[in-house]
Amino acid sequence: MKKKLLYTVLIVLFIGAAGFIVINYKNNKAKKGTAVYTLLERKGEQSKSGEWLTMKTSVAKLLAAIKENPSDKKSLTALANYMIMEARSSGNYSYYDAAAMKYINDVLAIDPENFEGLCLKALVQLSQHHFSDGLATAEKVRQSNPYSAFVYGILVDANVEMGNYDSAVTASEKMMNIRPDLRSYARVSYLREIYGDYTGAAEAMQAAIDAGTPGDESTEWSRVQLGQLYENMGDLKSASMQYTLAFNNRPGYPYPLAGLARIAVANKEYDKALAFYTEADSAVNEWGFKEDMADVYRLMGMNDKASDISNKVLAEMEEKAKAAIADNTAGHYSDKEMAEACIKNGNYDKAIEHALAEYNRRPGNIDVNETLAWAYYQKNDTAKARQYIQVALKTKSQNPRLLCRAGLIYMKAGEKESAKKYLQAGLKNNANIFPVLKEESTTALKQL
Amino acid sequence: MKRPYKIILAFTGILFTSAAFAHTINYSLQDAPVKDVIWFYLKLGFEHIIPTGADHILFVAGLCLLSTKIKTITWQATAFTIAHSVTLALSMKNIIVAPPAIVEPVIALSIMFVAVENMFAKKLNAWRILVVFMFGLIHGMGFASSLNEIGLPPGKFFTSIIAFNAGVETGQVTVIAAMFALIINRFKNKPWYRKRIVYGLSGLITLVAFYWTIERVFSS
Repeated sequence: MKKKLLYTVLIVLFIGAAGFIVINYKNNKAKKGTAVYTLLERKGEQSKSGEWLTMKTSVAKLLAAIKENPSDKKSLTALANYMIMEARSSGNYSYYDAAAMKYINDVLAIDPENFEGLCLKALVQLSQHHFSDGLATAEKVRQSNPYSAFVYGILVDANVEMGNYDSAVTASEKMMNIRPDLRSYARVSYLREIYGDYTGAAEAMQAAIDAGTPGDESTEWSRVQLGQLYENMGDLKSASMQYTLAFNNRPGYPYPLAGLARIAVANKEYDKALAFYTEADSAVNEWGFKEDMADVYRLMGMNDKASDISNKVLAEMEEKAKAAIADNTAGHYSDKEMAEACIKNGNYDKAIEHALAEYNRRPGNIDVNETLAWAYYQKNDTAKARQYIQVALKTKSQNPRLLCRAGLIYMKAGEKESAKKYLQAGLKNNANIFPVLKEESTTALKQL
Repeated sequence: MKRPYKIILAFTGILFTSAAFAHTINYSLQDAPVKDVIWFYLKLGFEHIIPTGADHILFVAGLCLLSTKIKTITWQATAFTIAHSVTLALSMKNIIVAPPAIVEPVIALSIMFVAVENMFAKKLNAWRILVVFMFGLIHGMGFASSLNEIGLPPGKFFTSIIAFNAGVETGQVTVIAAMFALIINRFKNKPWYRKRIVYGLSGLITLVAFYWTIERVFSS
């Protein structure tokens, strides 16, 4: 009798608790579904720009429009578009990607085949690093509209990330044929860089800038990319000029500041570099800036400070990764970034774990293979490092960091000829790569 | 509509939401030899129990504490295995998909349930096997969401699922073997076995599972 009662109580409690879990989940989901995402206040100089004020007014009008008519597809799409734009400007991808996806899902719930809705969905999927999903969505849209340059642009990006470089080139050619504009030229530049043609890449990026309006985010983004190309070509003067121009054209824009910081590091002006990074970091929440700042502290011998920053970045990355696992339709995959951060922190096992997770998603991508190879190199597993660096070199990219890493891996593997070839190529233009890697590569080359 | 039907609909509405979820594809093993695929997922399944699956370890440990007879754990483990294999395959096929925000706390609850039951049940009966089977269905969905982090290679669905399941089984058998070798066989004849081992460990498992339940409900 007593046992029966105990069982009854246990079952009732279990069902009650399970019911609570389900109801709690449904309530949270309903809250998310009815959430009204708006713009978050910008920080620093960017909050004073005319573009920001116009954007705020437009978003307010659109929110009012959907409040009046929740089925207003045009306003929902426009809102999603603004959220995507602001994600890039603010660096707050977790908030704005969720916001954009909410409005996109609202559009697709009304009209599942909506062209713009599906295009934006593919864009957000790429932003969340759900590259295979983004590619699948973009392919679906292409089948219904094979003459949209915008769709081919998404296909270029998705194929590059998935490591399907030939398909990316094909999509890029189609994009150029349909509409040769800033977006098309920027993609041509990126592909040329991947295939090792830096001069051609710089020419195409200059064409992209010329096709844009000075001060626009996309134009200044392209200018920053051109600066990076010059850094990799060892032309720091031109790089510095591009970054200064970009910053002057778009005050408060953080990415040129990060470029100027890297140049300051190359000139051993560490305090100046930190000032640039601090200013950039105050404008957007970008893990890369914080990691780079930690690197500068390491160069200054302030290892505790560097570790403190790195650990905070890693903790934030892990938190976002948990969200990605909990909700594979909304979270961000950041395993490649986490792997690179773990390498810097000396946690090579964890770095390999993250790099492998990303490798499983896109084994053909050269950057992922480079990260994995470098993690194995640090772990002294030279055979595996060699296996993956070979894939990373498959497009004959002339990226100096990749070449130096490849040279060091081949050296450890005892292949002196290959080591010499890659180290010489990596160091030949005195490109602006991280000083520790440059020093290690220079020392290794001297020994050969 | 009567309330019980509403509750059933609420549950089924959550379970059958396949369109909203997309499963990850593991492209790196797309062209790999079958033996590599088997080894990869076998290892993955095993690691999902030992060392990373503390919750599954405690669940299996809880099953072991009901009785000192091997037959008892064999029946329970078989029911658990059949159940989780079914939901793992169905989940990976997108036929049934439940959000981790529900599955994970319910897994913690199931651990608590089994541990509490150990404190007043002494032998195996059909009810316990049914309960373990039902919990196996939930755990299978949990295995699916963690397998989804890695994904499955296109064209090798059954090979990878079977290998992953075999890995999970090997992990479970290892936990059972460890429980019997280190605890049950050594102390089962002691007069204090039930009081100290069964009550003690079950109480501890209950506390840990309670903590996990709260943590998982409010962190999701």
